[in-house]
Amino acid sequence: MKESRYFAVVYMFVLTAICSTLLIGLARLTEAKVKSNEQIAFERAALAVFPSVQVQSDAEVHAVFTKDFAAPKVSGDAYEYRPQGQLAGYALPFAGQGFWAPIRGVIGIGTDFKTITGIWFYEQAETPGLGARIVEPFFYEQFAGKQFDEGLRPIRIRAPAEATERDIQAITGATQTCVRLEKLLNDAVTQWRQKKEAAQP
Amino acid sequence: MNGQTTTKTTNQIILDGLWRDNPIFRQILGICSTLAVTNNVTNTAVMCISLSLVTALSCATVSALKEWTPKTVRMMVQVLIIAFYVIIVDILLRAYWPDMSRSLGPYVGLIITNCIVMGRCEAFAQSNRPWPSFLDGLFSGLGYSVILLVIAAIREVMGMGTLAGYPLPYFSTQWDKWVIMVMPPGAFFVLACLLWVCRSIGIKGKKA
Repeated sequence: MKESRYFAVVYMFVLTAICSTLLIGLARLTEAKVKSNEQIAFERAALAVFPSVQVQSDAEVHAVFTKDFAAPKVSGDAYEYRPQGQLAGYALPFAGQGFWAPIRGVIGIGTDFKTITGIWFYEQAETPGLGARIVEPFFYEQFAGKQFDEGLRPIRIRAPAEATERDIQAITGATQTCVRLEKLLNDAVTQWRQKKEAAQP
Repeated sequence: MNGQTTTKTTNQIILDGLWRDNPIFRQILGICSTLAVTNNVTNTAVMCISLSLVTALSCATVSALKEWTPKTVRMMVQVLIIAFYVIIVDILLRAYWPDMSRSLGPYVGLIITNCIVMGRCEAFAQSNRPWPSFLDGLFSGLGYSVILLVIAAIREVMGMGTLAGYPLPYFSTQWDKWVIMVMPPGAFFVLACLLWVCRSIGIKGKKA
């Protein structure tokens, strides 16, 4: 019986059904946890781009985020940062392909639509020791206080030798990461600007 | 991979997995992940634990089901069982260790295609009882882990000057960091050197 063709089919079917059922069960059980992890990572990033906010635990992050941030009315738009009800800036989420894997993060923009208040990457898998250094303070702290340029290239990441005061200094040995990062940041900022212009005739 | 049956003792299984039949430098299996996840010790350690557990549990399950499994679909059954355990690991990491899950990216899922797991299921578990199969899987996984951790330690120290994220005294300051070590080619060089060393020791051991 064991070698019968029908037995093999039925056996495979039953085994697959059992395994899938167990996995679906486990995925369902952890679904809420996974979702909240992703949400917290994003909320932490949104808070991190405004230097005045200092929070530690996940619960605090969530509490402050829900109190101070207003979700965008149009999808793809920035979150409004309103501590004590006053508009103090925009938290613009960005995402795009890095060198190896997607890079996701949030960039903070001041109420003048020009000044960067900070930047935070909460997902990346660039080369450790090279591209992955975008998450180190020496790199991301450069963004705070920089002004956007007009045109389609608001943010410029350049080789340290060529970089002026207005530019972000790239990481040596991580050219691909920096080029892609610059592109995805500029795409996000440009799109956001166009939406803002369209909204205010 | 020469069709040994139930005659192996526990000690033999352990010694084979760790040294005599070491998956990396004897059988040259699982090389893709050896190259991919060894640029930093922490990631490597998590990868190794995951792989060892998956191999051990898959082997035990394959062995437990072998009496009922028709020969014609046994490979499908093995892949199914391996995938089952790998997805469990992936889900658990995503839920309870999101940072690690993010930094390992797709490599956890790729354990499914790691030749060591299927190699042990096919070569050992298919013809042995569950408990020895579990041990065989576990120690093959540990044999893989030892080599990977050595490679990762060499690459991380020479390429970044840190060990498991902690800066080392000399390497993080004076040492001129070898960028190639954190890039994929660095893994080839270190692996090749290790193969050379381990095999040379193995040959000497046999002569004696």
